[in-house]
Amino acid sequence: MIRRVKLLRALLTGLIILVACALGGELAWGAPQEASQDYRALPFMSSRVLMWAVAELHLMFAAFVLAVPIFALVLEYIGYKTGDKRFDQLAYDFTKLLSVSFSFTATLGALLTFGLLVFYPTLAQYLVKIFSWTFLPYVLLFFLEAIFLYSYYYGWGKFSPRVHLFLGLMLNIVGTAIMFIANAWLTFMNTPSGIDELGNLTNIWEAINNYIWMPINIHRLIANVAFGGAIGAAYGAYKFLGARTSEERAHYDWMGYVGIFVAICALLPLPFAGYWLGVEIYAYDQSLGITLMGGTFSWLFIVQAVLIGNLFLAANYYLWLSMARIPGAERFRRFIKYLLMVITVCFIVWATPHSLVATVEEARAMGGSHHPILNVLGVMSAKNTAVNLLILTTYVSFLLYRRANKEATVSWARTGNWVQFGIFAAVVIYVVFLGVYGYFVDAQTRIGLSRPQVLSVLFAMISVTVIDILLLKNAKSRGEIVWGKIPNRAQYALFFLAITFTWLMGLMGYVRAGMRQHWHVYGVMRDTSVDAFTPTLGYAGMVVSVIVIIFFLLIAVVFFLSGLSGQKNWVPKGKKQWFKRTAPSGTDTG
Amino acid sequence: MNLVVLLAIAATLVAIQLVVTRWLKLNRLAWMALWWVALWAAFSYGINPPLPNSIIVLFMAIITIALIAYLSADSDELQAAQSAITRFMVDRQYAVPLLIALVALPLLVALRVYLETKAAPQPPSSSRTIHPPPPPSINFNGTTLNLTTANNPYRELEDSDPEAFAEHVANGRRIYFQNCFYCHGDNMEGSGMFAHGYDPLPANFNDATTIAMLQESYLFWRIAKGAPGLPSESTPWSSAMPAWEDFLTEQEIWDVIIFLYEFTGFEPRAQGMPH
Amino acid sequence: MKHALQIFGFTILVSAFYWYVSLWVPQKRTEPPEDIAISSDLSTAEMVPIGEELVAGKGICLTCHTMGESGSGLRFPDLGNIGAIAGSRVEGQNDIEYLAESMYDPNAYVVEGFVAGMPNVARPPVALSDEEILTVIAYLQSLGGTPTVTMDTELEWQGQAPAAEAVPAAAAVGGDRDAETLFTAYLCNTCHSLDGAPGAGPTLQGLGERMSKAEIYESIVDPDATITEGFTAGVMSVMLTANGFHAQVSTQELQALVEYLTTL
Repeated sequence: MIRRVKLLRALLTGLIILVACALGGELAWGAPQEASQDYRALPFMSSRVLMWAVAELHLMFAAFVLAVPIFALVLEYIGYKTGDKRFDQLAYDFTKLLSVSFSFTATLGALLTFGLLVFYPTLAQYLVKIFSWTFLPYVLLFFLEAIFLYSYYYGWGKFSPRVHLFLGLMLNIVGTAIMFIANAWLTFMNTPSGIDELGNLTNIWEAINNYIWMPINIHRLIANVAFGGAIGAAYGAYKFLGARTSEERAHYDWMGYVGIFVAICALLPLPFAGYWLGVEIYAYDQSLGITLMGGTFSWLFIVQAVLIGNLFLAANYYLWLSMARIPGAERFRRFIKYLLMVITVCFIVWATPHSLVATVEEARAMGGSHHPILNVLGVMSAKNTAVNLLILTTYVSFLLYRRANKEATVSWARTGNWVQFGIFAAVVIYVVFLGVYGYFVDAQTRIGLSRPQVLSVLFAMISVTVIDILLLKNAKSRGEIVWGKIPNRAQYALFFLAITFTWLMGLMGYVRAGMRQHWHVYGVMRDTSVDAFTPTLGYAGMVVSVIVIIFFLLIAVVFFLSGLSGQKNWVPKGKKQWFKRTAPSGTDTG
Repeated sequence: MNLVVLLAIAATLVAIQLVVTRWLKLNRLAWMALWWVALWAAFSYGINPPLPNSIIVLFMAIITIALIAYLSADSDELQAAQSAITRFMVDRQYAVPLLIALVALPLLVALRVYLETKAAPQPPSSSRTIHPPPPPSINFNGTTLNLTTANNPYRELEDSDPEAFAEHVANGRRIYFQNCFYCHGDNMEGSGMFAHGYDPLPANFNDATTIAMLQESYLFWRIAKGAPGLPSESTPWSSAMPAWEDFLTEQEIWDVIIFLYEFTGFEPRAQGMPH
Repeated sequence: MKHALQIFGFTILVSAFYWYVSLWVPQKRTEPPEDIAISSDLSTAEMVPIGEELVAGKGICLTCHTMGESGSGLRFPDLGNIGAIAGSRVEGQNDIEYLAESMYDPNAYVVEGFVAGMPNVARPPVALSDEEILTVIAYLQSLGGTPTVTMDTELEWQGQAPAAEAVPAAAAVGGDRDAETLFTAYLCNTCHSLDGAPGAGPTLQGLGERMSKAEIYESIVDPDATITEGFTAGVMSVMLTANGFHAQVSTQELQALVEYLTTL
């Protein structure tokens, strides 16, 4: 208890210091400055970095707040349909994280708006002028969001399940609508449409429905789910490590598993949504596209490849460790080696840059700035093949996990296994073939090849799953899954996944904003501030790292506050009396 | 590829698996170390021309992460590896090897530092943005050329009037061998007689990642504006490509572009992307 | 608490690792392109090159004027020697006043033998700022004369330009903008009047009665096919290529534009 008081005191002190700094800043702005009225500067740090951090933190919390209701609703629905109380409890566990996060999101959003008005008055004014009336529905929807969110949270178990599910559905719809509106404002800055040469609005619908609005909407919707799942899993891992009873361990182990399962499922379609986004950027303006993929930011995508490679590796790693809780999983241990080999090779291919860093001597030895072998790995055909194989490998890991404690009893078990294997082999050969074939055709055809690659991988995943379900009907069990029997390393893998997801989000947020380079609104409004330059990747990486750390500090506060409701009641000193745990709604039985 | 080296590495691994393990049981940690060294040797010596150091570092980092994941994916094996390390540290019978390790490790670090300090000064390694984004439009001797939409005006002749097209190819050939081949070479491999004096080396057009991936307007930009016209992100860049707008007419540049594609057999990237 | 601290340490470790990865790749800071900065303390000599760029670029002057040999326009007076003659064109106006009036109120005095039609360059779509116009005056004075204008020169027309809302954009490609938007977006109104007033191009008043749809199509797509008597071939096609009309306009937009023109 005393520790907690200390922690609170430290937090309060920190807050006071922050407020004092902000006030100090305010006083400094009051003083006349020679800078133009388009911008205002901060005395102690770059205002751009401050806005960068605030915007990114707002985005992360918003992503979390939008994502959790999606799978809380799905889990609740599963619980309602199957009657399995565990799902309902899990959905509630996730929802408990919402209310504090929602307040944080709103606070950060207000800070972002305030900061825009203070530091970038001209830009803010311009955006307000273009999007005049769209701010009204945004505010109204925000009210609705608050109403639905709190009625969904506080109303847990208070309504009939159908009414409660309806509240959850409305919460999701309203949240998604809010995101769509906000996306219109920011995508407009990337690919402005619906305006004339002077930047005057000609058509508000075109300004909203600009080239990348829909791609960003879809991309963010999916990425939010992945991100929310990863943070939810981290919460499970955090509670798991602190758990005292084996029931708690079992519950939070399961929570972590479900969270990361959601995250990985959402991760798989993300590359394709990202691909669509890229195509739209190219369609809007080729030089914007090349700036992104081939120019200033090409190395950023190597960093991204490292992050995504790590995501896949850690996800598989978690699945392998998860097998420890399943009796009979030892049979599949020997496959880990080969799965890991495939993942490593794909990771290497994906992270191989197209433009190499080479000393002059090395370049001479290679006979130019291209290496004859690496060159083959640096282009799109190889990358597409690698990512498709990564997805397939992760699926195989999951398949092994799924069957770990099952033994097929159907008469055609052997044939079924061979058919599954045959499908995998055929698809892998086909995907690799298309990848190699891509080197021998012109660019237009090559771009088209990614579609059959994706479709064949999807086909393999769906058909093998169908066979698997039939195959394991009435399967003999080697024993129940022992939830909670998992090494602590696995929980750290979950944290690793959550941190990597967050970092990746920070990096992609940076490139989304950064690809405008020296423009506020690309091609329309120049950034004439001292911060108009594009920083080095190392600098951006540092800022993203700091943002990620701040985010996890804030998330720790969310976890702490959400955990309070399950704490023992306070008793005066001297009366050593243990009270029963209090549950806010009668459903919280841990 | 240097097959001899690769085969030798593979043979060593197989030999250890078949022969050495008869007398000495190797745990997973030892195997990991072996694999690490083997892969490092394969990347460093098994590939010809050699990989740049930066790439080897990247690959080995990924492999290190993967090997650590492999070691710890299995609790029993991790336990075994941990206890092996503990035994090595505390068991009296390993006193001598432990001592050697304790002396050798700092020495190896020192050696590396020594080698790094001793190395001759090198020009800073530079990354090159191979395909920098083109500007939206360029000014070619007074006329504005929109690079996003410009097409080779003679490309359509390929279908409509093959004879006229052949003339353009022939003209392009003449221009190429009058101007370009000194550096880009008679096979377009970037190995002309002057090529070896340059850093970076002249582009190799037979490479599937150069002109085959680009639009003709992009080539026009690069030929017309040369190295002086490269954008800032392509620096530091000491390319010696001249700005040919001062020497060639617009038609001559389009012709030589046609010839480049005819000679190498590549198709130019189509204008725009599917929307 | 112990776990929380461990986890926090782990977070810092992983974040630091990714920071290291981002440091490992080449570091390059991209500066924004140099802007033509017009500050109030420019010397007259410094104003000249800026004015020259504005004349060729944002001011689109060369669409109609020639500068001795450069420039493709033939419609308006040649400016190759304007610095020498500007002061003696109009009684009672010195060269600075004359040049300024020619930009702010171009049709107040029209050189003999030419037709009025130049737009006020201080207003959209050209929308040069007062400072920019001063630099243009400096450049024009330097053509055959000695520039005397400074950034502090005050002119009676200053201050009438609408506040620049935003820097002119590269027109958004394609889409289906309506005809009237197109008509101003591609600067048709710069040369063609709708009310019979003379201009650099023939007036469009009553166009629908004079020309068929097909003819209007032709005069947009291939302006030089038929030239109205008294006007010069080549100007409109150069202008439309320069402002990106041919590259950017969509079929629907072209149709809409022709429909609009037939109603005039």
